[in-house]
Amino acid sequence: MAIIKIPKTQTVSSDERVRPRDCASLVAQLSDGNPVARRWAARDLTECPEGTTALLERLKQEPDISVREVIFTSLTRIGHFAAVLGLVECLHGEDVALRNEAIDALKQMPDEVAPVMHGMLKDTDSDVRIFAVNILESLRHPQVESWLIEVIESDPHVNVCATAVDLLGEVGSSAAREALVRLKGRFPEEPYVQFAADLALRRIDED
Amino acid sequence: MRTDPDAVQCLISEDDFLKFQEFFYRKTGIQFENSKRYFVDKRLVERMEATGSASFRSYFTMLRFQATGEELQCLTNLMTVNETYFFREEYQFQCLVGSMLPELTTRRAKGLPIRIWSIPSSSGEEAYSIAIYLLEFWKGLAEWDIEIISSDIDTKILTAARQGLYSARSIQHLPARLLKKYFSRRDDGYQASMDLREAVEFTRVNLSEPADTRSYRDFDIIFCRNLLIYFDELSRKAAAETFFDAMRPGGFLCLGHSESMSRISSIYKIRKFPEAIVYQKPTEAR
Repeated sequence: MAIIKIPKTQTVSSDERVRPRDCASLVAQLSDGNPVARRWAARDLTECPEGTTALLERLKQEPDISVREVIFTSLTRIGHFAAVLGLVECLHGEDVALRNEAIDALKQMPDEVAPVMHGMLKDTDSDVRIFAVNILESLRHPQVESWLIEVIESDPHVNVCATAVDLLGEVGSSAAREALVRLKGRFPEEPYVQFAADLALRRIDED
Repeated sequence: MRTDPDAVQCLISEDDFLKFQEFFYRKTGIQFENSKRYFVDKRLVERMEATGSASFRSYFTMLRFQATGEELQCLTNLMTVNETYFFREEYQFQCLVGSMLPELTTRRAKGLPIRIWSIPSSSGEEAYSIAIYLLEFWKGLAEWDIEIISSDIDTKILTAARQGLYSARSIQHLPARLLKKYFSRRDDGYQASMDLREAVEFTRVNLSEPADTRSYRDFDIIFCRNLLIYFDELSRKAAAETFFDAMRPGGFLCLGHSESMSRISSIYKIRKFPEAIVYQKPTEAR
């Protein structure tokens, strides 16, 4: 026995990747009984934006974590508007893991998320608005601060404002100053808001 | 550039450092201990000056929200040392022969070779180090065939790897006995022996291109050290998924000492061996 050299890498003649790779076949393979076939199909669907709906549908029922991860990666790579809307829809569900994965995926798509951010911040469900602020936490977009200011200026829910003011404490500039002062006036009985707003103001002043 | 420790720490408070430490870990998987404080602060100040940031806070905001992510990449490059040499992070090779291979061979029917993938190959130091380690320190080689495939996106570096010519700096951590056994002296350095060079198959692969990685299958052990830190988050996650598909169930993935799969993907199991922490594709996975 020894260290040997086989001139070519393994072929794929005997595995799931040799099945048809056209978009319709890939969509069909998302329901295959074999997770390897589903994972390959989900990965190759990156090249098929029309497969977005099928990927989103599969996400809701996919039991295999490795397939689920690939679906999220493919949806992020597709970056199609429908993919963003589907991921935003995940925020309304009860599946915590799915929600967290959707938040992580949306953080990776600043340009695609920007057009829907305002809507997310105005969602009727305060939890979804908090998730939207969570996305802002590392969304690479120049509007992050102005979205956060919008939240603390107008959101009626104290927890949403508290999440936003926490983040403003880290990233706020003098542009947030007046909104922070007004926020204190909107929630005079909420000690945490008072504390976090004061902290943010102090940090801004230190700058 | 400021180098005075007091001056540097005046610019970055303890609170700033903690925030940066947490952020950088979340983004890159690289964890800086407090003992690295000066190293980190010095580079942060360097980038603050280069970008004209008036304070840590304004620099940190730019780092987090810059649309291109360019500054984060620049800082990551500065925070990491891009250098390869023989027996680098040797504890993982010790883990290879002391823990991973013994475990793999106990649950494996004989007949199929054990497959190892080293990526990126760079100029071949890692792949040849693996070969030397197996030849020298793994008795199982008497009973098992092993394939070592080493890949890189850069064809020029692959040519250099196949030639196996190294500077004195590259081989400085090799024991003299092994240097003598596996290398010959050249005017401008050392050349790996023909036997060693023939032990490794070098191939060109773009890890981010599914068409390139499609045929890379059935690996038992993958070494991918100090590469993913240079990828953006999405590419890093996609690479982790590519490795998952490239491995046999129960296969092991070795990352660089400052990298953590836990921050990239949850599909691997963490395995703590006496010599090293590595990541494993669950044996029940397909």
